[in-house]
Amino acid sequence: MSLSKTMKIEVIGPEPACTRCKSVMENAEKARTRVREKGIEVTVEKLNILSREVVKRYGVLVSPALAVNGVVKVMGRVPSKEEIERLLTSA
Amino acid sequence: MLLEAKRVAKTAIMVSFVAFFVVMMVRAIVGAYMLTPTSTAEDLKGLPLWEIPLVYMWDYAQHGWTCLGFAFTVAGLFAEFIPKDFMTRYMSSGKPISYLVATLIGPLFCVCSCTMVPIFAGVIYAGGGIGPALTFLLVAPANNLLADIVTIQVLGWRIALADIVAAGISAVVIGYTVSRTPWGKRFEAQFKKNQASAASVELVKQPVDERLWSALKFGGYLAKKIVPAFILGLVVVSYFQAFFPENIVKAYLTGPLGVVFAALLAGPLYTPTLIEVVLGKALVDLGMSPGATIAWLMGQPYDIPNAISTSRIVGWKIVITYGILAFAFSVISGLTYEILVGM
Repeated sequence: MSLSKTMKIEVIGPEPACTRCKSVMENAEKARTRVREKGIEVTVEKLNILSREVVKRYGVLVSPALAVNGVVKVMGRVPSKEEIERLLTSA
Repeated sequence: MLLEAKRVAKTAIMVSFVAFFVVMMVRAIVGAYMLTPTSTAEDLKGLPLWEIPLVYMWDYAQHGWTCLGFAFTVAGLFAEFIPKDFMTRYMSSGKPISYLVATLIGPLFCVCSCTMVPIFAGVIYAGGGIGPALTFLLVAPANNLLADIVTIQVLGWRIALADIVAAGISAVVIGYTVSRTPWGKRFEAQFKKNQASAASVELVKQPVDERLWSALKFGGYLAKKIVPAFILGLVVVSYFQAFFPENIVKAYLTGPLGVVFAALLAGPLYTPTLIEVVLGKALVDLGMSPGATIAWLMGQPYDIPNAISTSRIVGWKIVITYGILAFAFSVISGLTYEILVGM
């Protein structure tokens, strides 16, 4: 089966990652393997919330935050893997 | 259909869990139960060394769980339901309203330092100015919801209210003052106003039952993180209460000089907020005056680890400026309380 689309997840939090950011990373990874079966290729990246670049792009964020394809969808909480999966499949 | 019913049932269970703590708390307040340890030095002194913390903690556990359970539940709920994008947008607007938003909303959801420092840095980098950022940094830990609830229960609403008001006012004044200093202005000038385009943030809405669950989970996470340190703190406080000589507290932590000493002690001393409150209670039992208690409580935000992490962002000059101002304000607030409310 060929992969039909690619998407990008960014997990935004302090460096080194706090406990809650790590949970978001884990959930994002799990969601990634699940949507892969549906033909969606996902890359997961960690961004530093304290970098000026990130603030310039996204504004002031509450950590942990999660962006899908360059749009912040979640901040200040840990989304479940099901929720991340929904974010990826509905977009 | 089945899914709907499940959602409703789940919501009902969670709402009753929250309601349980609210009712217990109201009952305790109306009935004027003591929610704090009632052991005195006399009760503890005769006991073998290993038994002191156990007796003290048992004493605490009998009353304290209602207050802690309520505090963690409410903290989780606020963290989830406060509109965060509203807050961050206004705080970085660079308008006077940003001070107000920082003071009133910041403390409601900021319960851990790993969310606080990024917001502080974010407001500065986004060109919101050092003033509101600093106000937020000072007021969020001092007036955070967990600390407030525990302070009301442990030290009484009078001291708690005075502490909340004094910490709020001084945070705004300190933030504004630092932003008017030459070095504050120079620092601010490095960051141009840049509002990220509105399209880059589109928070998704979750169904109520999932939000409630997420709120309670966060409350549990906070409890897991804070309770072990809190227990350790209680062990220390129990020995303190049993052995710390009363006459030293009476001599040094009363009167105008007592206010100054309390502010000096509380500042650099790194104590997690909740423990600071319990330690404060032990000192009050040993004879610390109310004014000194206020100064003690307000000495939270300029401890050393905090200062080091902020200095990496804003530099030492600004840290020292706000440290001195914060010290001055704890002393002024303590003295004002002593003059207005008395002993």
